Amino acid sequence: MDTEIYTPLRLDEIDSALQRELKEKIDIDIETCLECGKCSGGCSNGHIFDYTPRKIVQLVKLGDEETLAGMDALWICLSCQLCLDRCPSGIDIPRILDYLREKAVTRGVKASRPDVHLFMELMLEEARDKGRVSEVPLMIRFKRKTGQYLKDAGLGFKMFLKGKLSPFPSRMQKPEGLKKLLSERKSEKKD
Amino acid sequence: MDDRVKKVLVIGGGPAGMEAALKIGQAGFRAVLVEREPDLGGTLRKLVSSFPRWENPADLVGVKVQMLEGNRNIERLTSTAVLTAERFERGFRVTLKHLNNGGSREIRADAVILATGFDLMDASVYGEYGYGIYPNVINSLEFEDRLRGWKEGAESIPKGIAFFKCVGSRDRSKGFPYCSKICCMYTAKQAGLVKDLFPGAKVYVFYMDYRAAGKGYEEFVRDVIEKKHVRYVRGRPAKVLPEKGRLLVRAEDTLMGIPVEVVVDTVVLASAVVPRADTRALAKMLGALTDEYGFIEPLPYTAVRSGERVFFAGGCGFACETQGALQQGAAAAAEVIAFFNKS
Repeated sequence: MDTEIYTPLRLDEIDSALQRELKEKIDIDIETCLECGKCSGGCSNGHIFDYTPRKIVQLVKLGDEETLAGMDALWICLSCQLCLDRCPSGIDIPRILDYLREKAVTRGVKASRPDVHLFMELMLEEARDKGRVSEVPLMIRFKRKTGQYLKDAGLGFKMFLKGKLSPFPSRMQKPEGLKKLLSERKSEKKD
Repeated sequence: MDDRVKKVLVIGGGPAGMEAALKIGQAGFRAVLVEREPDLGGTLRKLVSSFPRWENPADLVGVKVQMLEGNRNIERLTSTAVLTAERFERGFRVTLKHLNNGGSREIRADAVILATGFDLMDASVYGEYGYGIYPNVINSLEFEDRLRGWKEGAESIPKGIAFFKCVGSRDRSKGFPYCSKICCMYTAKQAGLVKDLFPGAKVYVFYMDYRAAGKGYEEFVRDVIEKKHVRYVRGRPAKVLPEKGRLLVRAEDTLMGIPVEVVVDTVVLASAVVPRADTRALAKMLGALTDEYGFIEPLPYTAVRSGERVFFAGGCGFACETQGALQQGAAAAAEVIAFFNKS
């Protein structure tokens, strides 16, 4: 989008195809956006986003799917729901980002940052195996794959001291039930 | 009629003047309502619908005119202008001129209410918008005429319309640093009406922000955006260019910081509200205060008083919507009645 700054974007429609798609598929109407920026001001990762939540909504309005699929924010959003919680119009921005992520993955778009997909895959694996995600085992898996053993080690130690990290994985009581559910879901998807 | 009953001259037969004359007449004093146009109603008479309730302004004008006609304390003088006015004894001596037959007559009044209304600034000072050059770049009042025509049957269906807000208003380089207050609402109304008439039309409103301060106003604008699907684009348009018989509008989407453009058939300029050109001279003759723009200025700590025995209501004081004009008309009448009962 930045590279084409000197070619005006032509607004041929009063809304974009993506805007209509969101309304149809996940029932989110971004016409209610007041453009106030409360979502972005309080976004827990907004300071490192290339496009803040308000701009993401605006990009949907402009129908700029390329920028949306390629942006960094798509992969570093924590889905913490603060934007939704604070939005005066109740626009479910995390759901929009989920939808866009799904679309990007389906289209095979690679995240701009390294190892994002690996981390997500490992996290889902962890969830599939144990029914819950425990930070320490997940981090060990991730570091074994990437070889970055000492990255964030200091932060991890601090978190451990504050009791935010437990070395013992927590497990759900009947993980086999979850496994059954997941396999059913998988076969359903194949049909 | 008893000559000892006090008499008020109301200048201007729009909603403010009509309401003021009506209340004075109903209170048992005499009112002379002077209107330059052949019909009462002022700017309101030219409007197609209203905010925030989509009511027909003609109904309101009709009701008021009927009530005025039914009150024998009120004299209505249409097609009549004020020629000269001066203070005389404890009141005014005013010469009125009939605009059709040229005849003039002198009347005495114990008080005057100014309700001369407002105008739109001449948008041709903006060369970049091409008002007065492109026939389809028109101002909001001209667009009301077009809306009326469309309501009665459209010759051709418009495909795209762009509304520009803050044309003149909030532009200190053109001499209008103030917000004209009513444009946000009437533009939303006009844009909504276009979508009602032609659901397939693409309607864009270019805005810096929309100011919807009033009961039901914010809801009105949101309905126009969300239910009638008018596209609001944040940014003040920079240029209108001809393109294959249509009009190309260039602006910045200030929310993203990128230049955008749209192609439309008609551009509607919500020009700044200004006082009528002759209001300043009239105010001077009557001893009323005016501000730097020519709007009537109230005396300190008053709402609708501008001098000894001179009151005002409606758009001549500052831009105001129909509700405001009616309220100020009633307020001016109340001030006059209180003044008469005291003296």
